[in-house]
Amino acid sequence: MDPGGAAPETSRREALSKALLEEGDRLYALALRVTRDPDLAADAVQEAFATALERESGFRGESSLATWLHRIVFTKAIDLLRRRGREGPLPEDDPEARPPQGGDMGRAPSWARPPDALLLGKETRVALEKALGALTPAQRAIFELKEAEGRPTEEVAAILGMPPGTVRVHLHRARLKLRSLLGEHFRRGRT
Amino acid sequence: MSCDELLRRLTEFAEGALPPNLCEEIRSHLKDCSPCSELDRDLADLARLCRECDPPKLPADLRQRLEERIRAWTTRG
Repeated sequence: MDPGGAAPETSRREALSKALLEEGDRLYALALRVTRDPDLAADAVQEAFATALERESGFRGESSLATWLHRIVFTKAIDLLRRRGREGPLPEDDPEARPPQGGDMGRAPSWARPPDALLLGKETRVALEKALGALTPAQRAIFELKEAEGRPTEEVAAILGMPPGTVRVHLHRARLKLRSLLGEHFRRGRT
Repeated sequence: MSCDELLRRLTEFAEGALPPNLCEEIRSHLKDCSPCSELDRDLADLARLCRECDPPKLPADLRQRLEERIRAWTTRG
């Protein structure tokens, strides 16, 4: 059913409440990826739910309901990060999480085929989380939506409000940066 | 195709966003160039690592608060 069409108000409300509950985990995952802070992510999701409920009648069905909800969450998460920016450094200002300066990310040393135990191990997941701090919030959002959730580029572009080509550029830079940073982890893991 | 050009195009290639002739050039380059094929394999491993990570869940207390809020909203007049 199209909640933005001629459906009765009660049906629109049911569709929105169903979508909010079904998408809850993914909305939180996006907020957490952008903010890298569970408290800020929870605030972003709460504010987004409130906004969605207030503006339910404004949803016109130009995108899917899920895309519309993700866009609200992304906007709230960025707003909260900006507000925090006035109070103190963002989590990604951790200098240890920064990528090597001046290097060519694409020509970083190869991972040299890490065995699955190393590639998928807990320490690598911790290293990935830390490396994600070197990305911009938009790159992290794109990385979450594309690499972790496997969403189509056009949908990610609609969520973030940018052209698909820009999404691909951000994704490319994010992938190369993470490859470079995790390469150091894998080299340490082999010694 | 040079290694630098392949590097710039690799994500578009993986996305299926390039015309067939460029895709063929990239496949051919990857077959013959060890550093680029290693890069391509690393990015595939990175994607696999991300897919294997457990996605975060909405905290239970937050889910409960949101459900109560939605219930109140759907039942109001």
